[in-house]
Amino acid sequence: MDLDKLLETSDICIYDEPPACTSCCPVHMDVIAFITEIEKGEFDKAYKVMEKRIPFARIIGSICDHPCEKVCVRSDSGGTVKISELEKAAVRYGYAPPKKAIPIPKKKGRVAVIGGGISGMTAAFDLDKKGYQVVMYEKSDRLGGKIWNYEGGLKKEVIEEEIQALMNKGIKVELNRFIDKKGLEGLIGEYDAVYLGTGQWEEELQIHPETFQVGNTSVFAGGKLSNKSCSVIFSASSGRRAAISIDRYIGKISMNASREREGSFETPLKYETEGIQPVEAVRKASDIYSKDESVREAGRCLKCRCRKCIESCSHLTHFNISPKSYMRQINQSERIILGTHYANKMINSCTMCRLCKEECFKDISMKDVIQETRESMVKRGKMPVSAHDFALKDMKFSNSKHFSMVRKQPGKAEYLFYPGCQLPASYPEYIGEIYKYLVSKINGNVGIYLGCCGAPADWAGRQDLMQENAEIIKETWEDTGKPVFILACSSCCSIFEKHLPEISFVSLWEIFAQYGLPHNNKVSPKHSLSVHDACATRHNKKIHDSIREIAVLSGYEIQELKYSKERTKCCGYGGLVYYANREQSADFVKHRIEESNNDLLVYCAMCKDLLVDAGKRTFHILDLIFAEDMESVALRKMPTLSERHRNRAQLKIRLLREIWGEEPDMELEKQMDFRMIIPEKVKQLMEDRYILMEDIEKVIDNAKKNKERFFNPQEKSYLARLRLDNVTYWVEYEEKDEDILVKSVYSHRMEIVEE
Amino acid sequence: MNGDNKQNTPWLCDKCKKELVQKKVKVRYLGGNFEVELTKCPECNMVFVSEELAMGKMLEVEKELEDK
Ligand code: SF4
Ligand code: SF4
Ligand code: SF4
Ligand SMILES: [Zn+2]
Repeated sequence: MDLDKLLETSDICIYDEPPACTSCCPVHMDVIAFITEIEKGEFDKAYKVMEKRIPFARIIGSICDHPCEKVCVRSDSGGTVKISELEKAAVRYGYAPPKKAIPIPKKKGRVAVIGGGISGMTAAFDLDKKGYQVVMYEKSDRLGGKIWNYEGGLKKEVIEEEIQALMNKGIKVELNRFIDKKGLEGLIGEYDAVYLGTGQWEEELQIHPETFQVGNTSVFAGGKLSNKSCSVIFSASSGRRAAISIDRYIGKISMNASREREGSFETPLKYETEGIQPVEAVRKASDIYSKDESVREAGRCLKCRCRKCIESCSHLTHFNISPKSYMRQINQSERIILGTHYANKMINSCTMCRLCKEECFKDISMKDVIQETRESMVKRGKMPVSAHDFALKDMKFSNSKHFSMVRKQPGKAEYLFYPGCQLPASYPEYIGEIYKYLVSKINGNVGIYLGCCGAPADWAGRQDLMQENAEIIKETWEDTGKPVFILACSSCCSIFEKHLPEISFVSLWEIFAQYGLPHNNKVSPKHSLSVHDACATRHNKKIHDSIREIAVLSGYEIQELKYSKERTKCCGYGGLVYYANREQSADFVKHRIEESNNDLLVYCAMCKDLLVDAGKRTFHILDLIFAEDMESVALRKMPTLSERHRNRAQLKIRLLREIWGEEPDMELEKQMDFRMIIPEKVKQLMEDRYILMEDIEKVIDNAKKNKERFFNPQEKSYLARLRLDNVTYWVEYEEKDEDILVKSVYSHRMEIVEE
Repeated sequence: MNGDNKQNTPWLCDKCKKELVQKKVKVRYLGGNFEVELTKCPECNMVFVSEELAMGKMLEVEKELEDK
């Protein structure tokens, strides 16, 4: 697997990107963290968040010119969030004097700071913290510069205290020292670097916009000299950034490396604004927000962060993970040589429905990532066998003589009806009817081909099996005269598109829509249905339209779901999640059901089975076309795994007899010479443990024939085991006359060496 | 995985009509081999695995090995 490409994709994900406000703020205050604290009423913690990024937070927090608010995403839905007002409130209600910092030795060098305004103060403060000996030169008799001119919110005492705190750090301050061009020359000789924050200077300076270096001298200039504006926050930011440059300059490290996101920048984050309810900004009753007003205003913040795919996907929600960290975890998992692959279960819990890509601003498709990952796991021998074993065996069964067959009328087939494997398992009774319908409506030779398209192999990452299967289908297609396939299953459609592009197909639903319904006399009550589209054909508009047409022809009304057509959701079967992680699968069904109270209309057998199993009234499109009694099918229970096998096997036999007048191979109807009684409780165990009736029969048959079994004389019961392929099945049973009463079944994959 | 199979099991080997005994038995999974104490028939060597063991400890170890 191409891990570099994976990490590149992970970098594209904007989940971790800052909101517009924070990226615009020249010092990148963590606005969401700040506002979250205010919302909780924790003003002291909110102030701490400010302090982390904003120099002299008590001063700037009261007078900042808040460029952040201009870009606030809330602005079109009731007005920008009043970040600066909230900062004032945090200063008022949450300020606590900083803890005394342990002074660090000033051994890195000496820096002169000229100008005692906010930019100079910030540069001095930061350089002192980085371990430089700092001397400040101020032309007047006090530090602070223009901040003294602010009135209102900012009290004189606060400024004095903050300046005092700065001086207490051991920064030397030379007041009443006016430095001119000539004075600067002197300081350049005396210090390792000089910061110029004087607001005005005798000559035009060549200041680098990112490093603030003047030419390639040891002088750095910020504040009004570089910003050409009076913004207090841009001044502070330039002082801070110049201090970083000075540190690099003296330390002789690259001046430019990885500084792209310093200062104000435009965030790549996108935030969905559709559906946001407008809320007006909270008005302050006095000069400053009260605590209560602050909490309410903070509540207006949207906490902008891209969670679009997560919100719509039950899988990402279940694991509470963003594609960004998901991909990083896959990257780690792929690199493990010895050790546990903790991400396996997650990787096998994605339904590969591709809704994430539909939702993503950046077109990231986790489906494609997961597909590649599963294939890589298979190649490296790291795919847990148990995750997909049952489904792959089911596919093998469908392609065995027990189900698979091809029949056509004499001559070259023009159409081949290919119902797939799950539809005949769930609806064996409709297949013959559909075939007869096709023959009666379509002019030309229509054949039938039973089998499985290979979707389970594709989902399991088994490209070996997938390709093998596609080859067989292709050969059959060529042998029958390259007919057009008539597909009834959406998964088949997507597999044919992906692996058999040379075969043209038409969906069965298009044919019904085009040729009309077989018995159109059914009058249904005005009843509205919501279509749960199949995720495998989210981009097949013809199918979407045909389904709706058939529904309308049958007298129903359609009420679209929020997630429909190309944005449809998976029922929880896709990607074999139903086998690999039942809980995850159940989440998908549950979320889907919660979307609407309407009865659902589906056109995939597995969608119907899963939805009905969870108690949702759901019609398959074939119910609309063929069912006699709609009420009885609305909640028709899904067949068990064993019944799904039997349904397929019997369908083949029936079609052979009824349509082709052939007597099926004796093998296909082979029966055991005992009858089994299986209580409901045991039936449920079989479902949960993926044990089939035919497995149990084989165990008992072997036990009876070879006496390979244990006997419990007290209970008069037997316990027998048989290894079938890679699983050992155990059956506990009693013999009741001719019948077998099955008491329990279980299995294990470990092989026990009996010697 | 030892110990889950009860020593005083009511089960007998139906073919040999023998009481079962505790013995070290070889177990294999995903290319790994290990030995565990299990109950088996002393005559034909058929090994007994209880439901509790199969669906409990054994399943757990299988899953662990699958994620290695
Ligand atoms: S008010 Fe100023 S300091 Fe606060 S977030 Fe906005 S720009 Fe940054
Ligand atoms: S809504 Fe909140 S997070 Fe989003 S931009 Fe505005 S203040 Fe920032
Ligand atoms: S493919 Fe489907 S299940 Fe997987 S992450 Fe995307 S939306 Fe979720
Ligand atoms: Zn024996």
